[in-house]
Amino acid sequence: MKLKKHRGIETLKSRYGLMFVTPWIIGLLLFFVYPIFQSLIYIFSDVRVVVGGTMMKWVGLDNINYIFQKDPEFANNLGQGLFTLLYTCPVILILSMIIGIMLSGQFKGRLFFRVVYFLPAIMAAGSVLAMLFQYQAGDVSSIQSDESVSSGMIDVSEIIAFTGLPQQIGDFISTTLSGIMNIIWSCGIQIVLFISGMQTIPELLYEVGKVEGATKWEEFWFITLPMLSNVIVLVLVFTVVDAMTSQTDVVMTQAYALMDSQLYGRASAMLWTYFLCVGAATGLVLWLYNRFCASRWQ
Amino acid sequence: MLKMKQFSTPESKALYQKKMMQKAGSFLVSLYRYVLLISISYVIIYPMVFMITTALKTPDAFLDPSIVWIPKVFSLEGFTQAFEALDFSNSFISTLVYEIVAAVIEIFSCTLAAYGMARFDFKLKGILNVFLMLLIFIPSQMIIIPMTINFSDFDILGIVGLIENIIGEPIKINLLNSVWPFYLPSLFGVGLRAGIIIFMYIQFFKGLPKELEEAAWIDGAGPFRTFLSIAIPSSGVILFTVSVFSVIWHWNDYYLAVMYTSSNYPMAVKLNTIEESISVLFRKHAITEKAMIVMAACLIFILPVLIMYMIVQKKFVQSIDKVGITG
Repeated sequence: MKLKKHRGIETLKSRYGLMFVTPWIIGLLLFFVYPIFQSLIYIFSDVRVVVGGTMMKWVGLDNINYIFQKDPEFANNLGQGLFTLLYTCPVILILSMIIGIMLSGQFKGRLFFRVVYFLPAIMAAGSVLAMLFQYQAGDVSSIQSDESVSSGMIDVSEIIAFTGLPQQIGDFISTTLSGIMNIIWSCGIQIVLFISGMQTIPELLYEVGKVEGATKWEEFWFITLPMLSNVIVLVLVFTVVDAMTSQTDVVMTQAYALMDSQLYGRASAMLWTYFLCVGAATGLVLWLYNRFCASRWQ
Repeated sequence: MLKMKQFSTPESKALYQKKMMQKAGSFLVSLYRYVLLISISYVIIYPMVFMITTALKTPDAFLDPSIVWIPKVFSLEGFTQAFEALDFSNSFISTLVYEIVAAVIEIFSCTLAAYGMARFDFKLKGILNVFLMLLIFIPSQMIIIPMTINFSDFDILGIVGLIENIIGEPIKINLLNSVWPFYLPSLFGVGLRAGIIIFMYIQFFKGLPKELEEAAWIDGAGPFRTFLSIAIPSSGVILFTVSVFSVIWHWNDYYLAVMYTSSNYPMAVKLNTIEESISVLFRKHAITEKAMIVMAACLIFILPVLIMYMIVQKKFVQSIDKVGITG
């Protein structure tokens, strides 16, 4: 009893801290941890929604066997999804870093460029982008090639025809172009994060660099990049999650189609397989990053 | 000045040359910057313009090779049909009711958790940090199936089951198609992308000077009083930034909405299935006719967010400089 009376300010503060986070802990348990366990169980069971509740039957590894051996599309989709992530995420990361650093400097027209570059952040995520790409991809362009968004930007096919290169190379270039568009449009939030990260680097460091006679290039490698290391990790994780859950992602689309037909077990198995692959790859990258870059900068 | 240019000593000449080199270098850097920025802006602006012109064209204009950008006849037919295909009045209201209110709830509920994590030390903090990372990294699509099933038969702590046993009658609480699947997670700080929102708040609160709050403590204000009257008023910038993000994410949310609702879809879902609605409503199957309506619908969809952005853009652009969300 006496101990309770003499509790210090630290104990009191820790209690207040707990008071603040209690709702969040409840939320985490009810709407995050518990559903995660449930969906992990769903992987190994046959889940059906019937009148008056759900019916679950333990089926062991059936779902996993099914998606890998019997499903005609999943293995392909998984490979394609992972491959897309593999080449888009690094490009998004680097591109948004370059743009973020550029936009955080002082130059004429900065406000205008910022307004333009935040546009993707405002409306990219989702349906509109999916629609745009769908309409540029094939259908409209078959009517009139100029109508396709990416090939309309720069008329690649004509340039290719002019230089006399084979058709395949032209196709490849126009695919890459539309890929670039996709990538730039998914850079929105990342640019915002980088700009805000750039503001936290003290100006003093650059002045010291100038006194020491560092070039711009050295400034980037020895001041900007190490100071941005936290932002880079955050942006990497954000980019991976964002790309993985975009509406153009093939695995997500397939899993959602399965959910429509109430094959919850299989959908769950697909989602978690995909997520584990992505998570393992991201974890590896983060580990390497910590091991070889972040620790050296410390 | 004149003396400088006469180069009285070889050193000053070298210095002058170096200066010129630097000047040329910085000119090249800024040139490079403008070229890159302008060419990427082009990629951003082009699709917008494409959307607008396509929406305004008549179907015949697609077949006319002389019309690339500005159609000879402007038609608003695309827009009237898009309004109908989107079921605009209904879907707009349900977007507001389901998504935007959830966004507002989320903005405020997340401050509580973040403030607790940033300002206080307690035992569970290490574990909670791990969970925060998981919350950022595990997308809500991973748990959407059990969430939907749980909400369709809401009995999350077994309380309903207990009452069932007492009364002896089966009760089924189906929360799907109501606002609760959107509000409840938001209320507890685990809504749509809550992880990254809490993370931003934590970074901001950590950078906020403690002294004011300590003064309030000494003056006898309780923790919640301090939070409400000191911490919240001084975090206008981050509240603003996060609000913009959260509203946009909720506005664009498709994956949650399509599972939690089966009628009164929000606009994002309507937009995603617009091709079918066009075929059903207007019996139009030609791609040119569809393109016009779809692009008009896309414009209608982004317009409210765009207007919001145009209103707040100056403040948003400036606040990005101040928030330090990623320290």
